[in-house]
Parts: sequence; structure tokens; C-alpha cells
Amino acid sequence: MAKNENLGKFVTPAGLEVPPPPHFNKPKSKYTVFNFVNGIIFVLVCLLILIPIWKVLIDSLDLTTGYGMKLLPTQFGLDGYLSIFTNQSLLQPLWVSIYTTVAGTFIGLLLSTMGAYVLIQWDMPGRTFFANLLLFTMIFSGGMIPSYLVMRAVGLTDNPLGPILLPAINVYNLVLMRNFFEGIPKSLFESADLDGCTPMGMFWRIALPLSKAALASIGLMFAVAYWNDYTNFKLYITNRNLYNFQMKLRDMMQSSDLPEAVGSATENTIRNACIITAILPFMVLYPFLQKYFVKGINIGAVKE
Amino acid sequence: MASTTSNGTIQVKKKPLLQRMQKYWGFYLMFIPVLVFVAVFHYAPMFGIRYAFYSWKIIGDPVWVGLANFEKLFRQSQFTTSFWNTIVFSVVKLLLNTGMAVIISLLLNEMISLKFKKLSQTIIYLPHFMSWVVTASVFSLLLSPSENGLVNQLLIRMGLIDKGIYYLADKQQWRVWYYIINVWRETGWQTIIFMATLTGIDPGIYEAASIDGAGRWQKMWYVTFPALGNTIITVLILNLAKIMNLFESVFVLQNDSVRRATNVLQTYVYYQTFNSGASADYGYTTAVGLFRSLVGLALMLICNYASKKVRGRGIV
Amino acid sequence: MKKLISLILVLALCAGLVTVTASADDKLKIVVMVDGTVLDQNNGRDAIEARWEELHPEYDLEFVQPDHSAYYDVMQQRISSGDWPDVLILSSTYYAEYAAAGVLWDMTEAWENSKTKNSGRFTGDNVFEGLKIDGKLYGFAPTRGNGCVTYVKKAWMDACGITEAPTTYEAYIDMLKAFRDKYGTYAVAAAGFVGTEAPYVNYLPEFYQDAYPFFVQQEDGTWVDGFTQDSMKAALQRIQDAVADGLIDKETLTNKTSDARNKFYDDKFGVFTYWAGTWATNLKTNLEANGKDGELVALKPLEGNPLYYDRVPPVWCITAKCAHPQEVFDGFIDTMLDGGDTQMLWEYGAEGTHWTREAGTVLAGTEKEATYEAGQFHMLENLEKAGTLYTKNHIDPMLALAGFEEGYDDPRSVEPEALAAAELFNNNSRLASIVPVTDVLSELNGELTTIKNEIIADIALGNMSVEEGYQKFADEGALDMSNEIVESLNALN
Repeated sequence: MAKNENLGKFVTPAGLEVPPPPHFNKPKSKYTVFNFVNGIIFVLVCLLILIPIWKVLIDSLDLTTGYGMKLLPTQFGLDGYLSIFTNQSLLQPLWVSIYTTVAGTFIGLLLSTMGAYVLIQWDMPGRTFFANLLLFTMIFSGGMIPSYLVMRAVGLTDNPLGPILLPAINVYNLVLMRNFFEGIPKSLFESADLDGCTPMGMFWRIALPLSKAALASIGLMFAVAYWNDYTNFKLYITNRNLYNFQMKLRDMMQSSDLPEAVGSATENTIRNACIITAILPFMVLYPFLQKYFVKGINIGAVKE
Repeated sequence: MASTTSNGTIQVKKKPLLQRMQKYWGFYLMFIPVLVFVAVFHYAPMFGIRYAFYSWKIIGDPVWVGLANFEKLFRQSQFTTSFWNTIVFSVVKLLLNTGMAVIISLLLNEMISLKFKKLSQTIIYLPHFMSWVVTASVFSLLLSPSENGLVNQLLIRMGLIDKGIYYLADKQQWRVWYYIINVWRETGWQTIIFMATLTGIDPGIYEAASIDGAGRWQKMWYVTFPALGNTIITVLILNLAKIMNLFESVFVLQNDSVRRATNVLQTYVYYQTFNSGASADYGYTTAVGLFRSLVGLALMLICNYASKKVRGRGIV
Repeated sequence: MKKLISLILVLALCAGLVTVTASADDKLKIVVMVDGTVLDQNNGRDAIEARWEELHPEYDLEFVQPDHSAYYDVMQQRISSGDWPDVLILSSTYYAEYAAAGVLWDMTEAWENSKTKNSGRFTGDNVFEGLKIDGKLYGFAPTRGNGCVTYVKKAWMDACGITEAPTTYEAYIDMLKAFRDKYGTYAVAAAGFVGTEAPYVNYLPEFYQDAYPFFVQQEDGTWVDGFTQDSMKAALQRIQDAVADGLIDKETLTNKTSDARNKFYDDKFGVFTYWAGTWATNLKTNLEANGKDGELVALKPLEGNPLYYDRVPPVWCITAKCAHPQEVFDGFIDTMLDGGDTQMLWEYGAEGTHWTREAGTVLAGTEKEATYEAGQFHMLENLEKAGTLYTKNHIDPMLALAGFEEGYDDPRSVEPEALAAAELFNNNSRLASIVPVTDVLSELNGELTTIKNEIIADIALGNMSVEEGYQKFADEGALDMSNEIVESLNALN
């Protein structure tokens, strides 16, 4: 984004000043028919996407229980959310969710990028073997009980490290990451190699800085998987102090089926408030990540 | 296995293996963490695959039964239907979702208002965060045949139908809505990876294309779309491997009336077990899992081979 | 090769990390695996544990409590990996199966000689008869299983000028028709035309009457498939007519329980068959929160109809690996309904944490604020959900199979409508029987049930007539499967 603002200067990650790519000098925003139609299309798409979510949102803010669709709540009230956020035992799971998500995303990204980086070394002996070794795990799995036995044997049951480490190796994300790395011009690596840069050095100084969009998107995929993780906590954690937010929300949604109305919130209000609460963090987070999705920012910047 | 190391394409001046490996020692070192994770979390539990050949009722010791579990699976009267349903549902769903995601990405890419682009992106990815159970309950309301069903009300107002249709109770309509609901839920999420890929396109190419007189559509078709090609193929093939895992999306949308017509392998096996009066035979479950894996492997190999033929390279 | 080496490396790693825990204590340690029906760690379980150990100083209690929804996954994992607790809670399906597989300790004799059975307060002999498998008892149920009763909105009855609750099917149908005409909507809705678990017919009992779609044992001891009986055909005809008449919501097919409840709260329909007991209160409060009249009339089973079905309750079992089963039975199981302090603990929780007799005000500053004098029993505020009170611990006082000892300060005071519904149910219910599992049954029943349910749904929606439905049943080989299963069940006798 910042680079859009001072078009005169364009700086590579290595600190070289280069003329801006032609793309950035082009006058933007022409109000053509296409753009108009395109805009209309997205208004419609967004509307279609929003209708079902609107139903949940309105129900979460409505103190009465309605079965049908409503444009606005019949009786507006925040009691559904209040009953979630005044719940003392929610802070600990929230904290668990935050640290497993942050730590897991970090480890997951590290493993994916390192693995992906090794997999673009086409001439490396054993590369194909490694690739197949990884792909094999995508298809075959040992099953629930053997997984539990292994997790228990390595001491990762009832241990927050379990749900952090287990999903950190994700072959799907690793292969996608490798795809992104491939877009980096080979010449960059070659010249760095001639300058005596180590593999690790190239990784940190070339591969990663040039893959911000990839890191943002794969990172997001990891973060969402960690935040939404329910299965691993369900299977490997029995200590309630180690439950994450998602576990807790499911717990609350289930117990909202039990005869205990909270404040003036009815069971339906609470259930819907739980659903919205689970979406919230990423509704807030996503716009901040979007600056990495601006086109032409990566490769364009290093064109000689 | 160690002999498969040569890549085939680079046999120009082959140095001794050790010497070549030495050059890459740093990379091997970097790969160790990945190997350790894969070994512990994926390969170590794989001893469990052998249970596919055992009968193990959780309690007591596993009993060797050879291929009996597989025979049992193939003998099931609904096996063929549910097997084909799995393939058809997943392939159609995969093509629709990916196709829509590509179109949306291309159109988003052309959008001039940055604010609206961001807003649209944020909105379309939201459905991914709604669990399948919630999705199913909201859509069964939208598709209700009663006066509460938005879809029917809309169609009635437009004069297309005169009475509400019970979409989810109709075996044909059910499939249509199954795909629509999947597109609704997953398209936005898939665009993330395509949008990220689009950032990698060198703007110079657009410029060159413009100078050559290419219009918007031509640029979109000849520059942007091919740039996505690799990612599209990768996403498709990687997802093929997981095709047979289809379960939750079908499960939550099924009802008694359409169940037999819409069962996929996983839901079928689930109901077999659920109504059997006993808890699952772990051996049988594992055998079904192994069968699914083998199908996934076959599909992936075929497509990877096709990809190699057409593009000269596979996905890894 | 490499794969093998890495595998070996991992195995070595695993072996090195296996930790052995041993506790040295002269008390008898009982490891108890419980689901979410016991108040959990966040809700003062430690206080319960402390109080229990205070009442039974010769034991050391340890709870293992997985997340409620994961209970059976985790429990199976434990059992299959040999890591058995001493005591665990099981639902009826697992109970029958585990008993057959030898996981459970046979407590027939211990039960016969138990204090509970011979206390004179025990009222659950018929429940325990139902729990016996081949004459042997492997589990202990402190409560009955509960079931569903039919609730009618009083306001709707008044509006239609119906002064007396219907007692016959004809009167019932007339009432439904009156509701339909008055409110322009269907009168009854349920989650599914047929249930997914025993007792299958509990959400539409007035229409099913004596029909039952699963295998039933007749009085002479022989088994039949209830689905093939004439009673079932008649029931399906009744349901089809009622749906066609607009009396039953046709979306019953796709309704989830929460959909059905929401429609009920939103006055989409007026007659709802749902759980007895505390749910009576819950339906009422939710209706009132919605600005509707919350008064509900619980119907007795209609004339000529059999009683409501009672579910098989979850049971407490001792595993066969337990080192001192008799001691565990005496100390843990047999004290649960002791009519005194331990029963109090299981019903209401720990004094000072979940309930108290001290003077005080609860829920201060809210609508439900209440002040109690010293000596007055009252529940305390929920540790997790501010603004609500605890209602019970593991044992629902309304469902308990034994009351308190004479003279013990029984605090039982439940909402009158819940008590009424519970009593009505308890007086008018029978236990759904446990069907033994044969190999043929577990092989064929999955398929069979799916076909049965499809036919029920299609007949209900009017897609086919009853005759066509049964023709399809025969044509698709379901009748043969059904006969095979019946044969295998009869071979057990």
C-alpha cells in the first residue's frame, strides 16, 4: 500500500532503488460499462452471501424467538452476547485459542515454507522421494486409535502442544506454498548463490520477503484451521483448563439446549450469538491482511 | 527407494550422488523438521493400517480376517450407489467451487474501487466460518416450502411457481441445492489462494499486452487466467486425493426421504454402523478408510499423469 | 529404507517418552469416568469431590471427565487402549454391548444384597428388571430414563373454546382441526416422522399408538418386526391423513429438534410432544420470553393408547479390570441413593458451592432476585453463567429412583409445571425394551432401517400410498432382511 503512494521511488527488499513498474504509472479508475456491470455483479453476490448470515446475526440480536426470516430484530437486545462474554470461564479458553492459533500458525508457516523451499530444489537428490513421502500422508492415515496411541506415547495428550504441533504439518498448504515459491525468478537464487549466500540465507532473504501474499494466505489458512480446531481438542484433551474457545462455544451451544435461560436471552438467541462470536475474529482480521493481496507488488518490485 | 532420487530431466553431467548431495546439505538440514513431524504424526500411526485386515470390536484382541472386511464392504447392496455418489458429488462440487472461485477472483482483480473490493472479499469469505450444521439449518429455512421459505416466496412472487416446492425432500432438487449450498459456502474461501496467486503476476506483462493492443478480455484470458493455471491444477489434484472423505456436508443436509438416493460412502457406512446395534468394528472402519485412500491415490495418480502429459510436469 | 529408518527412530522416541505414573496411597483409589451430566471442573466439581471424600474417607476419588460431546469417543479410546477406569457411565447401547463383551463387572449379587435395594425407599424395580441382560445386572441406574409427553398450549385451547383436554383420538384430531382452522397453520410438528433412536415413536405417540417400527418381543417371548404388523400400517395411514389435512407440519421431515422448538415458541403450532420434567419449565419460559402465553397442558396417553415410552437410562458400571469391585460398589455405587448426605451431593451438589441453607440474596439486581432466610434451602448462582441458578447435579430429583430417608431434610421444590409433567409421565410410562444384538441384526439392520425410514417419510408426505409403501418394502428385499433378523432373534430363545 505504501508503495502505491510514492510512485516515484520503488525499492527492492535488498534496498536497491528501481524505476517503478509501468503498471503503477498507469492512470487508474475508468468508469466503463464493464466496471459498472462488474460492480453490480458483486453487489448481488454479496447480497446472496449475506442473506443466510443475516438470519443468524438478526436472531442473535433478537430477544424473541422467531422461526422465519426477519429484516430487523423484533426486540433488540445484546443479552445473547452478554451471556457469552460475562461467562467467567470463557477467558481461559479464549487465551488457549489465541496462543494455540499464534504458535500453531507460526510453526505451520515455518514448516510449510521450509518444506516448500526444499521442494523447489529440482536438482536435489531425493527431492522426488521427499515429495512423495509427503503426498503419501495426504492420502493414507493410520486411523483414530493408532493416532491416539502415538500421541499418548509421545506425551502430547492433555498437553496444549498436541493441538499445536499435530496440525502444523499440512501437506496441502506446503504444496501450495511451493507453488508460490516457484513464481520467484530463479535468477535471483542463482546470483545469491554465486555471492556465497547459504540456503538458509536465501530462504530468509529472498524466498520469504518475496512471498508476502503467499504467507498471508497460507498463514490465514493455518490460523483459521487452528482457531476452528475442535476435533484435536476433543480427542486429545480431557483437561477442561486446556479447552479452547471453539470447544467452549460448542459446549455452550449444547447447554443452551438445557433448561437454563440466561438473563432475558432465550436459547435461540444464545445459540446464534455463539455462531456470530466464532466468526468475529476473522471478520476483523481479514481486512488487515488484504494489503498483501494487492496485485503486482511482489515480483514487480524485483524486476530489474 | 533410495534409487529413485534422480530426477530424470537433469542427467546432463551427472556427478556422483554423494557429491551432488553434499552441495545440498543445507537443504537436507532444513528438511529435517518436516521429516520429524511427518514421521511422528503421520507415519508412526500408520501401523494402524494393518487393522484393515482384522476384526477388532474395540474390546478384546483383534482377529485376523484377511480380506473379509473389504468383501463385506463390496457386498453391501448400496455400495455401488454410494460409491458413485461420492465421486459425482465431489467432482461436480470441486469443479463448480473452483470454477466459481476463479471467475470471482478474475472479476475481483478487475475491480477498480479498492474499498468495495476489500469489502466484497471480506463478505464472500464469511460463510466458510459457519459450521455445516448451522449452514444446513439456515438453508432448510430458506428452502422451506412454507410461507417462511424465502426462495419459494420469491419464485411465487415472480409467478414462476404457484405453490412452494419442498426442495430438500425431492431427490433431484436435493442435488441441485447441495451444489448451490457448497458454492455459497466455499467459493469465497477458495478465492484467497487465487487472489494471492494473482499478486505474483508481473504487471509488465499487462503493459506489454496493452501495447500490443489487447483489450480487457484478452488480457484476462491470455495473461491472468494462464497465470492461475498452475494453482488451479494443484488445487484440483490435491483435492482429488481427499474426494472420498466427503461426509459432513452431505450428512447434515440429508433426510429420511432422500437418504438412500444421496448417500455417499461415508454416510452410508455411518448409518450401517449407527443402526447396527453395536459399536463399530474398528477393523471394518479401517478397511473402508484404506479403500477410500486407494481410490484417492488412483485418482490423484491419473490426474497427475495427465497433468504431466499436457503440461510436462506434475503437481510436485 | 528411509521411511523405515525414520519409523524406527520415532518408535524409539516414543518408547523413551512413555511415562509411568504411580501413586502410593493407602486409601482405595477409584477412577471414575463421567460425562457432562456431572457438574464439571468449571462448575465446582472439586467441591463435590472434596465433599464426597469427606463423607467416605476410606476412598480416594478421581474424576476423568471428557467434553460431553466427545465422551463416547474418548471412552472407546480408553477402553481399546487398555486404560480402563474403575467406574464409568454408559448409555444403553454401549451398556448392552460392553456387558456382552465382558468389559463390565457382574453386579447382580452385589445389587441383591445392597443397602439401596433393601432400603424400602427404592422404586425402580421395573427399571432394573429392564436393565438385566440374560438375568444379570451390569449397571446401576440412579434415575429413570425420562421420555416425552404431549404438551398443548392452553391459550390455543381457550381460543378454540376447548375446555377439556382430549382423551380420545377423535377428540384429539378435532382439537387439531380446530387449531388449524383458527390459526391457519399446522397443529403438530416434530423432529422427524420417526426417531433415530429407541423409542423411535416418542415424538408422535398419538398417531403411532400401539405401532412400533423396530423389533418387539411379544408376550409369548417370540420376536416380530413391528414395522410389518397391521398396527404400523394403520399408524402410517393416520400420519399420512394428518399431514394431508395440514394437521402435522410436513417439514417434520427436515426439522431438527431446535427448529421444532423455535416454531413452537413462534406460535407456528400448538401441540408439541417433548421431554417431561424440567423441559416443561423451559418451554414455558421460552414462550413467555417470546411474549406468548406459556401455560401448557400435559396430556395423558389417549384412551386405548399404550403408555408413553421411557428411555433406558444411562447406567453406572464397574469395569472388569477394577481391582476391588465389591468395595467400589459398596462405597461408590450403593451410596449414590443412600437417602442422606451422599444422595444430596449427587442430586444438588456441594453445600456452599451449589446450594446453601444460609441466609442470603441470590441474583441480586436482576428480575429473579430472591432473598432467603437462614435455614431455607436454596440453590446458588451458576459459577459459569452469571444470572442463572444451579438446578441439580447428576441426579435429577424428579427422576430419582429413591427418595430421601424419613426425617432427612428433603429440599425438593421444583417448578409446579415441571413436577406435574414429570409425575404424569412417571405414572403413565413403560420402559422401551432392549433388543439383543445378533450378528444378523448388526449386519442387516443398517440397510433395513434406512429403507423403513424412507418408506415412512414417503408415505407421510403422500408420495405413495401405504400399500405401495409395503409393496416397495417387499420388492427391495427389505422384507427378507426383516424376516432374517426376526429368525435370528427367535433363535436366541
